Amino acid sequence: MLLLKAEKKQLINSKGIRLDGRKFDELRPIKLEVGVLKNADGSAYIEWGKNKIMAAVYGPKEVHPKHQVLPDRALVRSRYHMAPFSVDERKNPAPSRREIEISKVIREALEPAIVVEDYPRTAIEVWVEVLQSDGGSRVAGITASSLALADAGINMRDMVVGCSCGIIEDTVVADLDDTEDKEGSGDMPVAIMPNLNQVTLLQVDGIYTRENFQKAFELAIEKDKQVYAMQREALTKKYFGEGVSTSGEEE
Amino acid sequence: MIPGDVIATGDYRFGSYIEKRGDSYIALRVGLAEMGRDGLRLNPLSGPYLPRAEDEVIGKVIDMNGFGWVIDINSCFDGYLPASFVFGRDFSPSTHDLSSKFKVGDVIGCRIESFDRSRDPQLSIRGPGFGKIPKGEIVKIAPTKVPRLIGKRGAMINMISGSTQCDIKVGQNGVVVITGSPEGVLKATTAIRMVDEEAHAADLASKVEAFLGGAPTEG
Amino acid sequence: MPKKNYVVETIRKAEMTLVLAKGKRLDGRALEEHRPIKIQTGIIQKANGSALVTLGNTEVVAGVKVATGTPFPDTPDKGLLVVNAEILPLASAYAEAGPPSEDAIELARVVDRGVRESEMVDMTKLCLIPSKTVYTVFVDVNIMNVDGNLFDATSYAVVAALRTAKMKKFKVKDDKVEETDDMVPVPVSKIPVSVTMARIGDSLVVDPNSEEEAAMDMRITITTDDDGNICASQKGEASVISPAQVLQAADTSIRVGKEIRKLIKDASG
Repeated sequence: MLLLKAEKKQLINSKGIRLDGRKFDELRPIKLEVGVLKNADGSAYIEWGKNKIMAAVYGPKEVHPKHQVLPDRALVRSRYHMAPFSVDERKNPAPSRREIEISKVIREALEPAIVVEDYPRTAIEVWVEVLQSDGGSRVAGITASSLALADAGINMRDMVVGCSCGIIEDTVVADLDDTEDKEGSGDMPVAIMPNLNQVTLLQVDGIYTRENFQKAFELAIEKDKQVYAMQREALTKKYFGEGVSTSGEEE
Repeated sequence: MIPGDVIATGDYRFGSYIEKRGDSYIALRVGLAEMGRDGLRLNPLSGPYLPRAEDEVIGKVIDMNGFGWVIDINSCFDGYLPASFVFGRDFSPSTHDLSSKFKVGDVIGCRIESFDRSRDPQLSIRGPGFGKIPKGEIVKIAPTKVPRLIGKRGAMINMISGSTQCDIKVGQNGVVVITGSPEGVLKATTAIRMVDEEAHAADLASKVEAFLGGAPTEG
Repeated sequence: MPKKNYVVETIRKAEMTLVLAKGKRLDGRALEEHRPIKIQTGIIQKANGSALVTLGNTEVVAGVKVATGTPFPDTPDKGLLVVNAEILPLASAYAEAGPPSEDAIELARVVDRGVRESEMVDMTKLCLIPSKTVYTVFVDVNIMNVDGNLFDATSYAVVAALRTAKMKKFKVKDDKVEETDDMVPVPVSKIPVSVTMARIGDSLVVDPNSEEEAAMDMRITITTDDDGNICASQKGEASVISPAQVLQAADTSIRVGKEIRKLIKDASG
């Protein structure tokens, strides 16, 4: 039986244009909205390319079960979960190993920004729900979670913002979508605290030359700063609207 | 300001929600920064109510045990009102029935007696006007907007209550109870929600005044 | 679900009782009045069908995914339909992460019953090769914000998502299925409409919000089809209901259901 080799898609053509028309360093369209859920203490919705993700924060709140309480700081919990209809093949709603790992790295990406010492004996919970997934959902989730934390009014040293870069056909590119992630040769999600200039999430998947590693890493940080400006815009839109008051009437 | 923003550099005194990093002062919350007589201030536009001793709050009884009531004070910690504070020093569970005083669901005005990092806030009802609130319309606002609702030396709250002829009790925890005529209560509720939604507006006071219709009563 | 932990203030409960006696509720609604319903379909393009429903402040998202599978041995010529619901922890301060609670499971099963018993989906048209290959239709619902009446919001979302869902067309050749590039609509007809009522004191109120659910002592959900037949019903909460009230609820559901059916029809083409 003759096996025909499947035609490999060309992810980036000779003119440097990708399958969806983007140049190597172009981000997909991003839409951010703050304060979209009524019950949550803080929330944010993000559309990043085809990703549709909701992040919500509850806290500070009482710790349950009680034995997990920390006497001098807040306990930060986070969960990243994908809706069964969010991917091509329906996903079982029970948490997969991938989701559990991502939940952990998201928590570890956000926690350095939260002033946990200001909330002893409490829990701060971050919930990320992916309604539609298309590559880069964890960094989109982190970006939305940071907005949700700010919306909840939890003391934060800085915002946290993330973006993924990688390699497709030997070219370093920013913001891989699902196809590029699956067919490309490397993916690197990076999240930073932009003012403190510190990295809080770094994962590497694929093979990079030392030179490409640096290129991809620096490109990710540059893109993070671009997305940070969008976070600011989203918060400003909700909180400052028009007619910002410069003096309060407080006692 | 959004978290991480630099408010100022130099050498200043500074208040809550601000962190000093080297000679920079960083905002920890979404809020409005200002320079006052006491140094740098950040007025947060969102955030939970964190109990402080001496605060007057309005809570709801959610549970009772033999020795006191557990009160939801709209915070990450529930408050506790010891029965001995209400019945007196000779209180004993065998002779006094807690539900004769307050039941689950009752709305109570109380004072936070103490709150430290090792236990839940202790409440009391000492003082005039505290205790069970038997009727009224309940409105919940963001705790960070309470100073705006009260206003400089009570200017805003007195304007609203005077103009609507309503009695308005404001808890530091963002719970407000209004009593008065149905029309007055409706007007007061709308005015209070206005403050909650537009606390950042520079002309809030005049907006509320215009809505209430005319000059405020002296209060 | 909020009822277990949400305590209604006694002054609110007293006010509620007063206004109910005058045929009104605290938010100004009449006893049979439901909150504004908004239905948007096709919001998750990767899903075969989807719907976002807001019922007052209650917000739910339903997504349909169609796969192929083997039929049950006792129904070899029928496809499969699976309805699942999850009350996400982000939906309420009283919801927790973890496997579905008994409330979430009851919710999914009651909504499923309404869809299945109404025969809204023609299961025989989901059969590709009897005893071998059938379509499996999964409808998963994510509750995004809880403000009462998850039953009706979930039901409307499932129905709207199914009505606008499309599935891959398969060619049957030599006892095997071949995927084509065409899409066909999921075979649906009929619009089952669920109407939930809560009893507060002696009054039955339609479409309770969170506060009303915390104050209620009994809940009843009745689902009707286009012909006014009752295809599913569930009484909830540990309390009693008189036969007269059951019949009253049935009549209310038929009446209110008619109006809501028009809304769902307009929103889901």
